[in-house]
Amino acid sequence: MAVGSFFTSFDLSAFINALILGISIASIWLIAALGLTIIYGAVGVINMAHGEFIMLGAYSSYMLQSFLGLPFLLCVPASFLIVVAVGLILERGLIRYLYKRPLDTLLATFGVSLVLMQGVRLIFGSDPKYLAVPPIFSSNIQFAFVNISVFRVVVLLVTIAVVVALWALFYRTRFGVQVRAVMQDKEMAASFGVNADRVYMLTFALGAGLAGLAGSLFGVLNIVLPTMGAAYVVQAFLVVVVGGGTLAGSVAAGGATGELQSIFAYFTNDTFARFVLFVMIVVFLRIRPQGLFAPSAKRR
Amino acid sequence: MGFLEIRNLCKSFDTVSVINDFSFELVEQTLCCLVGPNGAGKTTTMDLITGRQKPTSGRILFCDDDITGLDEHEIARRGIGRKFQVPAVFRDLKVRQNLEVAYSRSTNPLKNFFRFREPFFAEKLEEILALTGLGNRLNVEAGILSHGETQWLEIGMVLMQNPRLLLLDEPVAGMTESEIEKTAEIFNRLKQTNTLVVVEHDMAFVRQIADMVTVMHMGSLLAHGSIGDIEANERVREVYLGETEDA
Amino acid sequence: MNLYHKVSAQWLAYLVFYAVLAMVPLVVSDNFLLNQLSTYGVFAMLALSVSLCWGFGGILNLGQGIPFGLGAYGMAMTMQMQSQDESNPMPPFMLNNSLDHLPLFWVPFGNTTVGIVLALVVPTLFCAIFGGLMFRARVSGPFFAIMTLAMLSAWYTLILDIQPYTNGVNGITPPAALKLGELVVDPYSPGAYWLVLGLLIAATVVAKLMTLSRFGLVVQSIRNDAERVRFLGYNVAGYETAIYTVSGLFAAVAGCCWVILTQYVSPAQFDTTFSLSIVIWAGIGGRMSLMGAILGAFLIQGAQSYLGDAFLNTWLLILGGFFILVVRFLPKGLIGLVESALGRISIGSKKGGNGVSAPRLYPQPGE
Repeated sequence: MAVGSFFTSFDLSAFINALILGISIASIWLIAALGLTIIYGAVGVINMAHGEFIMLGAYSSYMLQSFLGLPFLLCVPASFLIVVAVGLILERGLIRYLYKRPLDTLLATFGVSLVLMQGVRLIFGSDPKYLAVPPIFSSNIQFAFVNISVFRVVVLLVTIAVVVALWALFYRTRFGVQVRAVMQDKEMAASFGVNADRVYMLTFALGAGLAGLAGSLFGVLNIVLPTMGAAYVVQAFLVVVVGGGTLAGSVAAGGATGELQSIFAYFTNDTFARFVLFVMIVVFLRIRPQGLFAPSAKRR
Repeated sequence: MGFLEIRNLCKSFDTVSVINDFSFELVEQTLCCLVGPNGAGKTTTMDLITGRQKPTSGRILFCDDDITGLDEHEIARRGIGRKFQVPAVFRDLKVRQNLEVAYSRSTNPLKNFFRFREPFFAEKLEEILALTGLGNRLNVEAGILSHGETQWLEIGMVLMQNPRLLLLDEPVAGMTESEIEKTAEIFNRLKQTNTLVVVEHDMAFVRQIADMVTVMHMGSLLAHGSIGDIEANERVREVYLGETEDA
Repeated sequence: MNLYHKVSAQWLAYLVFYAVLAMVPLVVSDNFLLNQLSTYGVFAMLALSVSLCWGFGGILNLGQGIPFGLGAYGMAMTMQMQSQDESNPMPPFMLNNSLDHLPLFWVPFGNTTVGIVLALVVPTLFCAIFGGLMFRARVSGPFFAIMTLAMLSAWYTLILDIQPYTNGVNGITPPAALKLGELVVDPYSPGAYWLVLGLLIAATVVAKLMTLSRFGLVVQSIRNDAERVRFLGYNVAGYETAIYTVSGLFAAVAGCCWVILTQYVSPAQFDTTFSLSIVIWAGIGGRMSLMGAILGAFLIQGAQSYLGDAFLNTWLLILGGFFILVVRFLPKGLIGLVESALGRISIGSKKGGNGVSAPRLYPQPGE
C-alpha cells in the first residue's frame, strides 16, 4: 500500500512499462471475456461455467500435447474445437430448457462449473500441469527500456485477431445478421424464418470454444490447475458488465480496466489495485447501470 | 388553474422525436379518452406523466405542483395511479394479497417490517370488490385469473391506491363484449368521484365513457373536445378515424 | 387448503423442529460432535439469510460471504484482543510482520462490547451502502449477482493483501474462548450450542415475521414485478436495500457465532466457493422456504462431514450434479416435494372432512 511512492520516486520508464503491461493485461481479460460477451449478448445467459471452460481448454491442450505430442500451435485450435463440443452438449442437454429463467441459468451453469472442476480434479489430480511452448515464445523482447515477454505479445495478437474475426462474423455474414435479429426480437426473427433455437445453440458453442482458446493460452501464461478458471472469470464478468454486453463495449471495457489495473498496480500493488478497481466499477455502475455501450433500452 | 397540466412536452430518443410540443389540460372529475393511431405517443405520454421516462423538455403540473422528473413512486404517492397496457399483477400472490400491496398508505420499508394490518383496509377492500366483482376470487393466485379478470384486478389495484388521477392504458384490450360492457359501467361510476385518462382504440367504447376526447398524432395534439366535436373534425377524420375505424 | 401454506402449521413445524434441536445436548455427550452440530446451526443461519434475500426478495446474492466474513473477522479481533494486555498489547502475528504499534482500526476491539457491536454494525453498514448504491442504480437480477461476486473477490484480495493487519492467508486464531464479563463461552459446551440455537431461533422468528408482514408482501411483489410496485408508490430500491441489509445482518451474526465456535477465521470465508455453497444449501433445500433452506444446510453440511475429507472431491461432484437437477426440475427445492405431497393429502382429507390429523402425521411442513 505504498500510495506515497508516487511523490518520492516517479520513474517514467517504469511507468511506460506499466502502461504496456496494462495493454497486455487488457488483452488477457478481453480474450477471457469474449466468449462470455457473445453468450450474454446474444443468448442472454450468464455463464458461470465460463471459467471452467477456460480450464477445460487448458487441460485439452495439456492432454493433446503430453499424450499425442501435438505441437502447441495446433493445440490451440484443437482446444477451441473440443470446448465447442462441450458447449454444444451443455446447451442441448441443459441450458436450452432454462432460457426463460435467467437467474436459474446462472445457477445451473454454476452447478456445471462445480461438476467440471471436480471431474477434472478427480481425473488429473490437484497438482499443477505445464504446457510447453516453442522456445521463441518463452523469451523476452526489449525495445529501449520496455521489456515484455514474447508470449504476451502473442496473446495480444491472438486477441486482436479474434476480435476482428468476431466483428466480421457478426457484421459481415448471414449468420451474424441472424444473431443480431434474434437479439433484437426473437419472435419477429422467427417469423422471418430465422431458426432462433439454432442461433442460440451455435452462439453458445462458439462462446464456449472461445473460452477454450483462451484457456490454452492461459495454460502457458500460468500453470494449469482445476481451479484456474476462477482466477479469470470474475474479471471477465466485470468486463462484460462494464461493457454492457456488446462486442465493442467489451473491447473498451477490457482496455480501460486492464490499463487502470496496471496503473493502480504501479502506484500500489497488484491486489490493492484490484480492490480499487472493483470499487471504481461499483461506483461506475451507479452512474451508468447499463454499461458503456448498452443496446438502446427496450420499451414495454 | 388545471388539475393536470402538460406544457410543451417533448421527448426524443436519440434523434427520433416521439412527443413533440404536446400541451394538454385536464379538468377534475372528467373522463378523458386519449386516442390516436399507433405510434402517436399515447403510451409515452403516460410514461412521462408517471415518471417512467423523463421528458427532454417541457413541464408537467399536477394540482399546481411541478412533478416533472420525479421518480415513479413519488408521483404515485401524490395520487396518480396507472394501469399498464400489458396487465401487470403479481402472479405468484393471491388476489387478496395483490390488493393488499396496492393499498399503499404506509410505504416506509422500515415501518412495514412488523406491520401486519392496515387500518380501514377491510372497508376499502369491500368497496373495490363490489366494483370489480372479484369477491369470489380473493384466495386464488393472480396468475390463474382469466384475461378479463386480470384487467379488473389491475384496475382494482389502482383504485386501492385511492388515486386522484387514474391513467388507464387500453383497459378493455382482449375483453369479451360483456366484459367491456361491465368495464364501461365501472368507469361511468368512477368518474363521479375520480379523474380518469383512458387510452383506447375501440371507438365504440370511447363513445360510451368519454366526457372529453384528446386526439394525438405524431406526438402532438391534434384535437381536443367532446366526442361529437371530434367526430365532426375533418383533420381527425383524415389521420385517424378514416384509417382505423374498422381496426 | 394445503396444510403447507397454513401459517399456524408452519409455526407448529418450527416449534417441533427447534424443540427437538434444543434437546440434542441432553442426549449427545460427545463435545466435539456438539461443537460440530453448533457449526451446522451457523450454516443454517446463513442459508436462512440467503433464502430471505433470494427466495423472498428475488435478489440472488452470491456474496453472502462478505457480511459473514466481516462479522467473523470482527469477532476474531475482539477475541484476540481479550488475550492482549498492557504488557503485551499486540497480537503476535503483528510483531512477526514487524508492526511497531497496534493499528488504529484494531484499537476499538480492545473493548469487548464495542468489538461485538462493530462486528455486527460494520457488515450491516457495508450491505446498506453497497446495496443502496446498486439498487438505486436499478442493478438487479443476474447483474446484481455478478456484482456481489466481484465485491466478494475484492474483499478476498484486500484481506489477503493487508497481511500485517489481518495475518493474510493464515487468518486470525484467537488463543482463548470468548469471555463475556465473567462468563467464558466454551465452544465445546452445551452452552455454546444453545447460544447458537437461540440466535438461530431468533433469526428464524424475525425472518418469518418479516415475510408475513406488509414488508414481506411488498418484497414478494417486487420479486414478481418491480416496475408495478414502483407505480403503487413504494420505493423499490429502499425495500431491496432493506431486505439485503437484514440478510447481511443475519450473516454477520452467523459469522460471529462461527468464530466463537471455531476460534479461527481466514480469507477462506471470503472465498467464492463458500458463498456459492450457501446458495446451494438454500437452493437444494428450497429457496422459497425458510425451513427448506435451514434443512438444506443441515443435510448437505451434515452429509459432507459424515463422508469426510477423503470423499470430498467426489461428494462435491455429486453435489454439483444434484444441484443442476434441482435447478432444472425442482425450482422449489426438496421442500417443494413436501409441499406437493401435503397438497395431495390435504385434498384427500378435505373429502374425508378430517383436516386435523395431517399435522400429527407430518410434523415436517414448514414455510
